[in-house]
Amino acid sequence: MQDPAIFVLASLADGEKHGYAIMEDIRVFAGVRLGPGTLYGAIARLEQRGWIQAVKTCSRRQPYRLSAEGSQRLKEQLALLGQVVRTGTRRLREA
Amino acid sequence: MKILLRCAARLYPARWRNRYGAEFDALIDDISASPADLWDVLADVVRVRTNDSICTYRAAVAVSWSTCRVPVVASFSAHGLVILLIMLATWSHVTTMPLPVVVPLPPPIPDAPPQITDARVFPGALTLYSSLPLQLPAQGDALPLYVASGVGINFLSLPDIGATYRQGSSQYRVWPGQALESFIVRRVLPEYPRLATAHGTMSVFVEYLITLDGAVKILRTSGPKPFTDAAKSAVQDWLYRPLECEHRPCEVVSRVEVRFDEKFARSAMTP
Repeated sequence: MQDPAIFVLASLADGEKHGYAIMEDIRVFAGVRLGPGTLYGAIARLEQRGWIQAVKTCSRRQPYRLSAEGSQRLKEQLALLGQVVRTGTRRLREA
Repeated sequence: MKILLRCAARLYPARWRNRYGAEFDALIDDISASPADLWDVLADVVRVRTNDSICTYRAAVAVSWSTCRVPVVASFSAHGLVILLIMLATWSHVTTMPLPVVVPLPPPIPDAPPQITDARVFPGALTLYSSLPLQLPAQGDALPLYVASGVGINFLSLPDIGATYRQGSSQYRVWPGQALESFIVRRVLPEYPRLATAHGTMSVFVEYLITLDGAVKILRTSGPKPFTDAAKSAVQDWLYRPLECEHRPCEVVSRVEVRFDEKFARSAMTP
């Protein structure tokens, strides 16, 4: 589970954040520290797809928020991951 | 390290720097930079630039294809047309070449025979014809049988010369007898009917058909009975080489006048 895009989406699920806040949030909840190149690579792809949106601000630190489509995609991805987690856990238990 | 990171960030494409440059600088200010971050930024620079190159290439290809489409299509069409024409020319050249056909030699044309019909019968005629082939008599004889038999033939001038007539599925052309003389293989002259009671000269007209194999078939006759029978039995024994019209076998119709002269015939019959 090293896809930085889903980490960014999950980080923005509870509200808008700027780059450094996203990086710290991911490090806290996933234990993964994204490099600045990886983080902004993911942010650029997600924004291009319309899954996150830049929030207007006067600060140098540009906050982002989850779009409706991004929220839907995150739900689908988490449901898939949940299915994988449940199946894997059950099989480990039965083994 | 932060300086190196900022230098590395300058390697991003201008489009990327215009969009994310300021906030990326702010991020670098916030983090505690490490060499891993430098490699991470450089790797992302390579990825972004590669993607940009691919997009630029795709756009260039799309533009060049759209601009080059007409000349490319024209070139392909011209080459295809030329190849097609060459193939057609080759094909028609090969297929229309006549195959060698072994044509049987025609029967030998006999030498021009002497005019052995009775010239006295047609005193003003320019063409008098003989029976072919005719065994010439022994040397010294003067062809007494036919020369003085009082019978002669004369080919008529035909008003419909060269016309083509169709009768059912068959068709035939009208040719004058003179034009057919080079095809004659066998000719039999009529004999004066011994039992005829007519006096003077008697003309009989015979219309005959030369079939595809050169045989003669009588179509119609005109004249008094014993003379038409004599003319008919002689003309139908004529034989020609197969005739061709425009390089195709064909049947030909001709007409002939057979004239009987009682005075000359009687003088020939009396010893």
